[in-house]
Amino acid sequence: MNFLRRVLGLSSDANITPTEEGIHITQGQSPSLTTMPEESVVVTPPPSSNVVANKSDTAPAAPVPTKEMAQTKVEVGTRPLPPLEVVVPVPGQRLQFGQLSNVGMVRSNNQDSILSIVASTTSNDQLPDFGLFIVADGMGGHLEGERASAIATRIVARHVISEIYGAILDQQMNDPERPSIAEVLRAAVQKANDAVTEEIPDGGTTVTVTVVLGDMAYIAHVGDSRAYMITDDGIEQITRDHSLVQRLIELDQLTPEEAPDHPQRNVLYRALGQSDSLDVDAITRRLPPRARLLLCSDGLWNMVSEDHIQAVLAKHHQAQTACEELVKMANDRGGPDNISMIVVQVPG
Amino acid sequence: MVDTQKFAGNLPDQPATDGTLQPGSVLQGRYRITGVIGVGGMGSVYQARDLRFPNVTRYVAVKEMLNLSTDQGMREMTLKTFERESDMLASLSHPAVPKIYEYFPSKTRAYLVMEYINGRDLEAIINASPEFLGLEMVMKWALDLCDVLGYLHKQEPEPIIFRDVKPSNIMVDQHGQIRLVDFGIAKIFQEGQKGTMIGTEGYSAPEQYRGEASPSSDVYGIGATLHHLLTRRDPRLEPPFTFADRPVHQTNSAVSLELEAVIMKALEFKPEDRYTNAAAMKEALEKLVRSGGGLHLIESEPAPSDTTLWAQSGVEPIWVFKCEDEIRSSPAVFKGTLFVGAYDYNLYALDSATGKFKWKYPTGERIVSSPTIAAQENQVIFGSLDQYLHAVDMRTGQEAWKIQTQGPIQSSPAIAHGHVFFGSDDGNVYAVRLATGRVQWKWSGGMPIRTRPLVTGELIVVGLESGEVVGLDLSGKIVWRFKSKRAVRSSPMEHDGLVFFGSMDWQVYALDITRGWKAWEFRTGKAVVSSPAYGDEKIYVGSVDGSLYALDASSGKERWRFPTDGQVTSSPVYNDGIVYFGSVDGNVYSVESKNGQLRWSFKTQAGVTSSPVIQDGIIYIASMDRCVYALKA
Repeated sequence: MNFLRRVLGLSSDANITPTEEGIHITQGQSPSLTTMPEESVVVTPPPSSNVVANKSDTAPAAPVPTKEMAQTKVEVGTRPLPPLEVVVPVPGQRLQFGQLSNVGMVRSNNQDSILSIVASTTSNDQLPDFGLFIVADGMGGHLEGERASAIATRIVARHVISEIYGAILDQQMNDPERPSIAEVLRAAVQKANDAVTEEIPDGGTTVTVTVVLGDMAYIAHVGDSRAYMITDDGIEQITRDHSLVQRLIELDQLTPEEAPDHPQRNVLYRALGQSDSLDVDAITRRLPPRARLLLCSDGLWNMVSEDHIQAVLAKHHQAQTACEELVKMANDRGGPDNISMIVVQVPG
Repeated sequence: MVDTQKFAGNLPDQPATDGTLQPGSVLQGRYRITGVIGVGGMGSVYQARDLRFPNVTRYVAVKEMLNLSTDQGMREMTLKTFERESDMLASLSHPAVPKIYEYFPSKTRAYLVMEYINGRDLEAIINASPEFLGLEMVMKWALDLCDVLGYLHKQEPEPIIFRDVKPSNIMVDQHGQIRLVDFGIAKIFQEGQKGTMIGTEGYSAPEQYRGEASPSSDVYGIGATLHHLLTRRDPRLEPPFTFADRPVHQTNSAVSLELEAVIMKALEFKPEDRYTNAAAMKEALEKLVRSGGGLHLIESEPAPSDTTLWAQSGVEPIWVFKCEDEIRSSPAVFKGTLFVGAYDYNLYALDSATGKFKWKYPTGERIVSSPTIAAQENQVIFGSLDQYLHAVDMRTGQEAWKIQTQGPIQSSPAIAHGHVFFGSDDGNVYAVRLATGRVQWKWSGGMPIRTRPLVTGELIVVGLESGEVVGLDLSGKIVWRFKSKRAVRSSPMEHDGLVFFGSMDWQVYALDITRGWKAWEFRTGKAVVSSPAYGDEKIYVGSVDGSLYALDASSGKERWRFPTDGQVTSSPVYNDGIVYFGSVDGNVYSVESKNGQLRWSFKTQAGVTSSPVIQDGIIYIASMDRCVYALKA
């Protein structure tokens, strides 16, 4: 049995910087007279006919400026937008995110890796907002932890972009022969597992990946980096840690209060780089309007309670400032581990 | 503890600077090191030749204990503990316990010289075997293992607890005898590990993670070892304490359910639910062997558990009503009246409390469509193979209106937004305004539509005989289209943004309902005609392969399945932690949604393809034996 340890500050290499990658793709198209604003359709054709009520039949002759158009200051129909102008997404209209990865107060290196991508499209195709978010928490000495989490992040992202965002752009998402979204995510994590196993034999990593497509979130994870959903109703942990203490809690052999003091609280029974075959949890959730999704490493959730996380997210309108406050809270409490998170804001 | 890695007579690949004994070095002028058997966390185990017997090659095992503590008091204490442990071992006498020859301490380490066992450990045996190990052999090992651990457990004044029963600590010597090795001495020397580790023992009982151990903890280890031996599934590669998720018999059909039961009792989470010690477990195994249950195996019938027996005799119908022909559709119940369509062309209205006949309404053909209630209009609406959609006044049984389509109607209607939506074998989806009974629109799919349309706030989802599933907007315009490989007769159902349905292509699909993109799919053993139901975070759906499946709604992962002796085309219903469904084997089943355990079953005289309806603690279901039954849920 290959045992790995997430070693506390073993590396003396001070040159490691947190892995933070953020790509923001925004495609803009100037609204034209043929693009009709969305509105609800009521079934009210004449009783005698089988004629289908058509959106364009009932649409007004000139487009009514929607809230979105007004807020992006586009004067419809009077002059075209300058070419290649990037439409800056307005909070509440588009998928937004903030992300932060911090080494903490004790360790000299950051073994976490995070990645965020948002692609918003305005076009006749009516593509949903696409978001890809990854948190990986590496383990192993001699830079192996940070390398493992970095590799996993890259490989998962590469696979998801080509298999999901590529398929969206190719308009192939309805192809029944395509693997399901859950299957793509599992395959992506499996691929990352193969790479970590091969390239970092003594290292390992958790990975929690979320793909947002419109109002649906598709999550896959291995390890104890968590996904939370925060709505007006409260905060909910969506993922289930693959840790020994979690299993003991489920079997009533340990109380949640005892868990933080358990000598084996850091023992994971599943992680990337552990064995060839990997059981990946896949989860699908609908995101209510204005919901927030938080992906984070244990450096956050071990130090900041769910109640505090919820309060901070409720307070901040900007996801980024919420991340900054959460990192500060974890560090104020000692920051014994790397602290990494991505906060996704659902429009609405 | 770091697991011992086996080096078959080889040197460890680490340099000798850490104090490892090199081959050729001689201990006490007597034991010449010939190789390394294993490397543990606190020292190595060597193979050595005993030089006192120059004319024969006599090997011994030399176990080395490094004592590296810098604290003087600590060092002495560790040494004392080790000595005590060695004394204890030396006092044991059992054929499966290796003999102790000698013990000698030095400044930084201590050595224990013991019998060298020429053989292979069980882990190596499992790994080397491409197939399941012979059951007879495993049973013999199991009895021997229980015997030696039982011997340890009965030691006075305190039982000896092995604490680390697992295949790599159990050897089979050249005579085929079980030998226990590695008596956990290393453990005494072990200091607490720090930091996150990946991997767990896999064989240790839950209470051992609290630092507690009793003879029943060893029983758990025996159970885990037997489970691994018989299923070939390494528990270290599985989530901790999940043996129950991998029933032995399901993996290895040579194992009887009786033997599985003994193993599972040993693997209970709570120590008090297991055998109290290895001797008690041995007794249970011996009883099994005597009855032939362990070795000569009984054909695997679904376990007739006590509850089943109780159930079969315990469920009495509240009432039964007999029609003149088979019933394949499902009833609807509203305000004290039950409505059901039969193959005898009639729609029946019965008093739901007593089963008393109220009225019947004749159509021109058989009825397979299930009725729907339009509460405001006081109408019961259903289709018939006579090509008409019938709306009948539910108080009088008189026709309110009817609409002719160009084909038989097998689809059950759905009511929403003041309209009734249904499909016909003429290939159309119809939207009919309830108030007037007039067709508002129809959408042509080109192939018969037999599913009940799913209607949400924005969309109508229907399945077609072509295998397509389409999402239409409320005006009947197509929004998305998905194609499975065979006909879709399973009616779609929605939960949390996903639409679920089965297909004749054997799959259960979950699609993003706004776009028709495939979120997950699950393959059953045959066609899926049954319509899914949701409850307790799971999707329940039957398959023609004979099972009811419970799938995690969010991932499509199988949570459990319940096998029956006939096709499950009936659509399950979830109510308050319980799933109800029928099978072509003639039974109505009530199972726990949590784990698929049978609560009760009720036998009718023919196949049950109808789906149950539950109201006020009563389940109503029809059977092909022509009867409608009211049962206590």
